[in-house]
Amino acid sequence: MNLYDIIFYIFAAITVVSGVITVTSKNIIYAAFSLLFTFFGVAGMYVLLGADFISIVQIIVYVGGILILLLFGVMLTNKVTSTDIKSGSVNVLPAVIGVALFAGALISIIIRTKWTETPGEIPLSTAGTLGSVLLNEYVIIFELLAVLLLIALIGAASIARRTKEETN
Amino acid sequence: MIPNLSEIFSLTAPEIVIAVTLILVVLVDLIWDKNKVPAMFTAALGLIVAGVVILNGMPETGMIPNNYMVVSDKLGLYFKFIIVLTTLFILLFTYDSKEIIESHLRQGEYYALVYGMVLGMFFLTSAVDLILIYIALELLSLSSYVLAGFSDKETRNSEAAVKYLIYGAISSAFMLFGISLIYGLTGTTNLYGVNEVLSTTVVNIYTLGFAVILIIAGIGYKISAVPFHFWTPDVYEGSPITITAYLSVASKAAGFALLIRFVSITFIDHVKADGEWILNGAFDWQTILIVLALLTMTVGNLSALWQKNIKRLLAYSSVAHAGYILLGVAVLTNLGLVSVMIYFAVYMMMNLGAFYVVMLVANKTGSEHISQFDGIGYTMPYAGVALTIFLVSLTGLPPTAGFIGKLYLFLALLDSNMLMVAFIALLNTVISLYYYVRILKHMYLKNVAEMPEKIETRGYSTVVLSLLVVPVLFFGIYWTPLIDFAKYCVEFVIK
Amino acid sequence: MYDIILDFTGNEILSMFISAALPLFMFILPFALVAVLAERKVSAFMQDRLGPTRVGPKGLLQTVADILKLFQKEDIVASNADKKLFNLAPILVFAGSFAVFAAIPFSGAYIGTFADVGIFFVVAISSLVVAGILMAGWASNNKYSLLGAVRSAAQIISYEIPTALVILSLVMLAGTLNLYELTEMQTEYFWNWYIFGGPATGIQKILLIPFMIVGFIILYISTLAEVNRTPFDIPEAESELVAGYHTEYSGMKFAIFFLAEYANMFAVSAIVATLFFGGFQSPFGYLGDLFGVEWLIPIEQFGWFTVKGLFFVFVQMWLRWTLPRLRVDQLMTMCWKYMIPYAFVNLIIIGIISLI
Repeated sequence: MNLYDIIFYIFAAITVVSGVITVTSKNIIYAAFSLLFTFFGVAGMYVLLGADFISIVQIIVYVGGILILLLFGVMLTNKVTSTDIKSGSVNVLPAVIGVALFAGALISIIIRTKWTETPGEIPLSTAGTLGSVLLNEYVIIFELLAVLLLIALIGAASIARRTKEETN
Repeated sequence: MIPNLSEIFSLTAPEIVIAVTLILVVLVDLIWDKNKVPAMFTAALGLIVAGVVILNGMPETGMIPNNYMVVSDKLGLYFKFIIVLTTLFILLFTYDSKEIIESHLRQGEYYALVYGMVLGMFFLTSAVDLILIYIALELLSLSSYVLAGFSDKETRNSEAAVKYLIYGAISSAFMLFGISLIYGLTGTTNLYGVNEVLSTTVVNIYTLGFAVILIIAGIGYKISAVPFHFWTPDVYEGSPITITAYLSVASKAAGFALLIRFVSITFIDHVKADGEWILNGAFDWQTILIVLALLTMTVGNLSALWQKNIKRLLAYSSVAHAGYILLGVAVLTNLGLVSVMIYFAVYMMMNLGAFYVVMLVANKTGSEHISQFDGIGYTMPYAGVALTIFLVSLTGLPPTAGFIGKLYLFLALLDSNMLMVAFIALLNTVISLYYYVRILKHMYLKNVAEMPEKIETRGYSTVVLSLLVVPVLFFGIYWTPLIDFAKYCVEFVIK
Repeated sequence: MYDIILDFTGNEILSMFISAALPLFMFILPFALVAVLAERKVSAFMQDRLGPTRVGPKGLLQTVADILKLFQKEDIVASNADKKLFNLAPILVFAGSFAVFAAIPFSGAYIGTFADVGIFFVVAISSLVVAGILMAGWASNNKYSLLGAVRSAAQIISYEIPTALVILSLVMLAGTLNLYELTEMQTEYFWNWYIFGGPATGIQKILLIPFMIVGFIILYISTLAEVNRTPFDIPEAESELVAGYHTEYSGMKFAIFFLAEYANMFAVSAIVATLFFGGFQSPFGYLGDLFGVEWLIPIEQFGWFTVKGLFFVFVQMWLRWTLPRLRVDQLMTMCWKYMIPYAFVNLIIIGIISLI
């Protein structure tokens, strides 16, 4: 067991344990903060896989963006305007059966399948290659994503303006 | 192989027109921020240009697969044309829609979001790369979530948006998982590449089946096939009627185009001379599609029987129609494909028409409950007659266009010796007659006053209605041009 | 640096820990010690007073005394506070601001990681600080703390956008995300610094200068906001919110927040210095080159780097004691309506110029 193995297991433990807390915790703030550690653990995995750019994107998007907004929303609704957020669970049994079946299928598939393997070495840096692939081979997707973000912005503005209009 | 820029431009000409117009709509809306007419005209103009570009591009489509992520063939252009026509009608409807006009200030956003949907659907019809398919699907979904909750007058509006969002997020997650499994199996996301791997090497059938079923979940959600249809009634009920009509036609067309392309590119081995598709046996498409189709039409029709809200009724009816169209795909022949294309053209006209009449009535009465239709046949005579025609057409009776759609569908089924399936479909049609006629009963036989007071309809509404009634009747009597056009467009790029 | 320690100790894990902890003990702690005193002395100078004078000669040991006091203080946790998160929050905040130092090139010989995503990593990892601040504000179960935390988070994520845009324009110009490479491009003389158009030559350089200055001003203002310094210190505005998110903290936990804040101050100053002012590069050659003493160069570089960083820290203090605090709406207006559009335009113009 060398250094990278140890680091891998540390990150794996962080991801799994905080993931379990996220799902099981009744306190929504605990769930949100353990989600932070899940994301962080996944980012660590990416680093170990040699995907440095993706791991930073993982942190900047999930930890810096989504999670902060999530916490922000919870804090504004829950404490500032004192609205209760319901966090109970219903239909536990069907959910357990469904999840167990799905997980069983997934695990058996993952173990039994012979996945395609492409030879390759871990690149030292991925940012440059990623950029040129995005702007050459996947340029349509790149542009489409730009439109997608524009639409998301317009949609968010539209939803935010909904209630204001009524008071006019 | 990456094509050069001009090749990309010619492959995606309609998409580029739409994307540019999307930006223009936003800009025009910013410049004239009080007056919403310029934005609307820009939107309509962009669609007309896109329509012209599509028709113009049809004769010169390339039949050679270029291993790039989009193809331009007549099949895709046909569906794009249907989408453009639908969107144009929706814009016409919007001008008349009370719900949208009331949120006057946000109309610019409305057009921009509709354009977002159009762009997503355009790419869905022509994408042959799983990543592009996923992004296009997300673009389509994201715009439609917002549009579903566009007005904020009642709680059901927000309910529709949230339900749509949650179902959509889950199904797109499933689909993404399926895509990742396919990538893991074959090492490529390009559908031609996947086909090549599937036909040259032996892959684990169970894994592939699992992945394909996950992808079917994503597509099935878009076309609201049972058992992925649970969102349909609630979302259709809560959305503004224009958007309900749009979801029921355009986004289904895109979903079907995607399904057809996914099947015909990824799993086809070759097309026989008589138009029968020979699949490469990696996945039993015929069985699963037939099961899905029969389930979809039966559940849709049976649930529609009990509905009191016309929008919910039409929602279930659209589920049922998705079932019929799925049968056309399940035949897996060129004839089946022709029947799907004809059915879609017809379905577009009659379904849009039905929703338009519902909108006109709801504009006057403020509700879509079936009791609001009592005596409409006398108070709004033209709308009543029009709705009758649309409903007869939805049932599939002559002399309306709906009959032609069903006729070709059954022809395709019989051509492939699927007698039992055809019989079940026919039974379903009979069931559907019951609930369509129930609306007619309310319109003409219930609560009829001695001297009915006429409800004024605007001349504009009459014109738009005529634009839909006339073709439904015309193609019911003289359908050759429609058939010819569809047959001309059955030409798609396989490996 | 890691290799040297590895030679010395012979243990991978141990040497990794030591080289990771090096900036903390070698740099951040002494810096905080000096900076806290400097803050008080600078403020005293600005307000024409003397500042601390009792402890040590001219009050020089005041901070040491303060730290001793903080060590001895009772560690109070409010009874209704959420204890787990309350204890975790200072660690998270400090981890976020400390992690930034991993990518900062202190000198040619010492840089935590040569990772190719350097500056991107800095932008990303500092978001941990926001999470920590939110955690602290929430766990304190105190309305002032919560308001402070929410304000702080809103402010930091808003001002991350102009920061990222300016950084993007520089990255576009330099073609690298690696801070070490970025510094190496600004070598030799001060006119090669990016504030003077970088290594570009001719007309391009002259065209670049005004937009680089605009970029620098935007970056500096938004980094001020990101570390919650005046005039953007509404998260801890003492006249409204007592002390913001760390109102309930005392003793060592408070000290850790304090340390993190000063670490952050230096980190952003170092980033500004690295991006625009040549990082560890000397403005006019090295004594080591002159005398042919090889080992002197990294030390000189470290000196230059510290001087540049400290200068921007001093400017931060200077601004703190001269400018009044902005209101919340003014703060947001400034960011969304002025700085982001300017930063975008600046980005586009720099892009066009770099094409010439």
